[in-house]
Formats: sequence, structure tokens, C-alpha cells
Amino acid sequence: MLIDQLSVFVENRHGALAAVTDALYRYGVDIRAIAVFDTTEFGIVRIVVDKPEEALKDLKADGFVAKLSKVIAVEPIDKPGSLNELFHIMGDNGINIEYIYSFVMRRREMPYVVFKTDNQEKALQILKDKGLNTVVDL
Amino acid sequence: MIWSTYETMARDQMEKLQLERLKQTVRRVYDHVPHYRAKLNELGINPEDIQSLEDLKKLPLTVKNDLRDNYPFGLFAVPQKEVVRYHASSGTTGKPTVVGYTKNDMETWTELIARIVTMAGVSAEDTAQVSFGYGLFTGAFGLHQGLERVGASVIPISSGNTEKQIMIMQDFGTTALIGTPSYALHMAEVAKSMGIDPKKDLKLKWGLFGGEGSTEAMRRELQDAWGIFVTENYGMSELIGPGVSGECKALCGMHISEDHFIPEIIDPETLEVLPPGSVGELVITTVTKEALPLIRYRTKDITSLHYETCDCGRTTVRMAKIQGRTDDMLILGGVNVFPSQIEEVLFNTEGIGPHYQIKVFKKGYLDKIEIDVELIDDNLLESFGQLEALKQTIRSRLRTVLGIDAKIHLHEPRTLARFEGKAKRVIDMREVK
Ligand SMILES: [Zn+2]
Repeated sequence: MLIDQLSVFVENRHGALAAVTDALYRYGVDIRAIAVFDTTEFGIVRIVVDKPEEALKDLKADGFVAKLSKVIAVEPIDKPGSLNELFHIMGDNGINIEYIYSFVMRRREMPYVVFKTDNQEKALQILKDKGLNTVVDL
Repeated sequence: MIWSTYETMARDQMEKLQLERLKQTVRRVYDHVPHYRAKLNELGINPEDIQSLEDLKKLPLTVKNDLRDNYPFGLFAVPQKEVVRYHASSGTTGKPTVVGYTKNDMETWTELIARIVTMAGVSAEDTAQVSFGYGLFTGAFGLHQGLERVGASVIPISSGNTEKQIMIMQDFGTTALIGTPSYALHMAEVAKSMGIDPKKDLKLKWGLFGGEGSTEAMRRELQDAWGIFVTENYGMSELIGPGVSGECKALCGMHISEDHFIPEIIDPETLEVLPPGSVGELVITTVTKEALPLIRYRTKDITSLHYETCDCGRTTVRMAKIQGRTDDMLILGGVNVFPSQIEEVLFNTEGIGPHYQIKVFKKGYLDKIEIDVELIDDNLLESFGQLEALKQTIRSRLRTVLGIDAKIHLHEPRTLARFEGKAKRVIDMREVK
């Protein structure tokens, strides 16, 4: 299952990230997961929230460059090497993972893994075939 | 509609009129302005020596420093009591340049503006919002008088307080917006952030912009943002203020009111007069001004003159959009570039907004140029690589089109400076030459 993830453009300057999280707080939007990758002078913040559509509308109205994109969230099986296995499955099938991050939900032990590939449909199918649990609802 | 019959005069008649007025003006400055009398004597020229328009090039050029050196009223041809209005242009350093108007000058100015606003489509049916700053700057008062003359309903709102401007625009049903192009661009952005769709929620039809140069790309931005017909007009306080020239609906250059101003194009280096169509520095001689007549005033603006009759029916000469100012020209590692050329490249690049800042500095012996732009396209957020690619696109276009190598910085929207008057988009941090 593909889930909605917000991508927001931020400059690499003091308070830029806080401006995004402040805004989400003001809209009453809950952040489930957030990730920022190495940036030089700017970067893209990836955020999984409870109300993505609303959050996007509000962010845009406030002048942010923001977009919704579909990402895959999986719950790796609780055994050693499961993440390693996930990468192998993707790699062996010629699917390139563009970015990946993980997060833990309260009252759960295993981290979810969120990632974006260059072929989302195919990636989903493979995960399903391998019996990996893709998250439907966060 | 054409406001005045002078705008459609036959060329030979116009030249006859110009010569007659030129003779009077030369006589006037010789008799009343010590600066010009000294200059003419130095060159051994008598006012009687001016017998044809060709003789114009014998006359000395005037530069802005002549006005500064004779601050405040040294170049005036009338005593102060005949002056009914002063304006001044703010000098970035030192004293401003002061200009004055007699009663007749005010009448001339008003008529000149009536011509350009009519050319741009404005009539007595219109409600015109003057968003130039009222004060010593000539823009606001100039447009104000001419708009009243054609019978438009004028809102003298001045510049600034942008949200209120938008509210008034909506509540009063403004149909014509008057100001600098950069402020109009900023206003459109504010309107949008207030949830107003200019095309649906406002009655705007016309945009009359001036006070600073603008590019065709800027015109498109303004047309798209407001859904209006955009014209540009030209002038400078030394010459009279706005009203020297303006675009008609054919949008093929700005018609100069030649019965009041004689234009020439010179090579800014050799000072030689260039033939029609050539690109060079615009030089203007005022032939009707009483308080401050100027002989062959160097405007520093780079343009060209076109004498073919326009589709609109006017016979007056048209000047092309200003390509840049001789003193705005950036020399970057030996390459000459006008900021307007950089603007053209930026505006034609998808994904970034119309606001930008150019920074020039020296690193060792090398000129370095950095350009700040704002990202607006959310489609580029799929991967970091797309954003890097956008930077590369801008960089390589600047290299191919202009031959300059610039470092591009992407910023969030609404983070670069916005301007209510003339935009200051170039910061040159190199040593002053
Ligand atoms: Zn025309």
C-alpha cells in the first residue's frame, strides 16, 4: 500500500525546519515521521502526517513549496537481517531505492520503514509476494 | 484613441516645428543659463548658428553631474518666483537632482501624460490607482495630473501598505494600476496570499508601469499575474518626469512626444550620433521646457529609435525597450552584461519565481557572480537531484546566452527582497572603480 508523504522545500538556515513544524502544529496536524537528508544549502523535508491533504493545502497557502508523493511503508519482520533482506529483494529485482527512513510508532516495538523507489508498483508487488507487511494505515 | 493631433503630424511638419522650438530653446539657455552660455562660447557657437536639425549635434552634451554641480537651481532658466513646482530625484550619494516647473511646464507635463495614458488604453471610464510614492519623485504626481486630465477617477493611494491597496482595488473597482513593475509584481503576490484571484475578484484592465526599466519577460509575468494589458512608459525627472514616451496598444516601442523632445542615439564611448535603428545611448533635448531646458541630455539609457509609422496611426518616433543603463552595465570577467539580460534568462526558466537578486564580488582577481532565486515548482520535490538539475539549467543558460558563469542559490518563496518603488536587484560588492 502506498501512503501519502509530504515533501517540503527548506533552505539550510537557522529556523527553516522549525518554520515547517510550527506551521503543521498551527494547523493541528500530527507528525508521524520526519526525515531530512544531507543538505548543502537547501533540502527536502519528508514528513508523514495524519492529515496529508489538509496539511498540503495549508502549507501551500502559507507560501511553502510542498507536494504530496506516494511512498511505501513496510513493517519489517521481527528477525535479524530483515532490513538487509528488504534491500536485497529490491536490488535483485532491479528496483532502485531513492530514499529511505524509519520510525517507531508509540506502543509498537518494530520500526516502520518508509521508502521511495523508482518503480513503486513493482516494489509493492514484490513485497506482497515475499509476504512483507506493507502498512495501510498509520 | 489619440489624444493630440501632434501625435500624427507629418514628418516634415514635425521637423519644422522642432527646429523652430530648438532655436528658441538655444536662445533661451544662452540668455538665461550661465552654464550653457559659457559652454557655447567655449565651442564658439552662437544661437544663430542653429539653422537646421542637423546643427543639433554641434551643441554640447549635458550630463547629470552638470545638474549636481549647479545644485540646486543653477541650470534653471527662470527666476524662482516663476517656478510653481519642484521635484527631485534622490541621489544615492550626496545632493539630489532638483527640477522645477513653470505654470506652462505643468500644463505641458499634464498634456504629455494625458497622451501616454490614452495610448495605454485608459479613458474617462477608468478608475486609476496611482501606486507610485507621492513626494519629490515625479512618478506619482505626473501620472496623477494626466489621468485627471483624461477624466479618469484617480485614487492617489501612493506606494506601500500593500494589503490595503488590494482592498481598495477591490472595493473601488480599480481598472487601471499605475506604479513600478516590480511593485506591481509584489502586489500580485500579496493579493494571492490574501486569497484574491485578480482575474475573478478584481476589475483591473490596464497596467501602466514605469519608473524603472522592464523586460518583455516581466510584461508576461505581470500580464499572467493580473490578467491585464500591460504597457510601459518612460521618462526621467530631469527631462520632465514620466511622459517623455509611452507604449501604445501595438506594443512596438514607446512613442516619444517629439514636439517637446528631440531624441538622438549616440555611441556612449565616441559620443558620435548614430543612424536610426542603431543601439546606443539615448540623448534628449527638451524644446519647450521653460524652467529647466536641457540641451542634449545624456539619459544613460541604452535603446534604439524607429521612425516607421506605427500600426496605431501615430507618426512619432518609437524608442525600443531600455536594454539597460550605461552605468548599470556589469563587466564580469571582461563580458558586458546588463541586469535586464540576466532577468530575461531567469524569467524564461520554469520552476522559479520572478524575484531575484544578483550579487557580484571579487575573489582574488576574479569577478564572481551569484544569483539568488526562489523555487516555486513543487514538482521538483520528488528528488534532490531535480533541484540540483534546475540550478544547472539556469547556470548553463546564463553561460550559453550571456557568456557568464554564475552560481545559483535556490531559496524558499517570499524570502528575497520585495520592492515598493524601484527595485534594487544588483548588489555589486567589488571595489568602486
Ligand atoms: Zn503606436
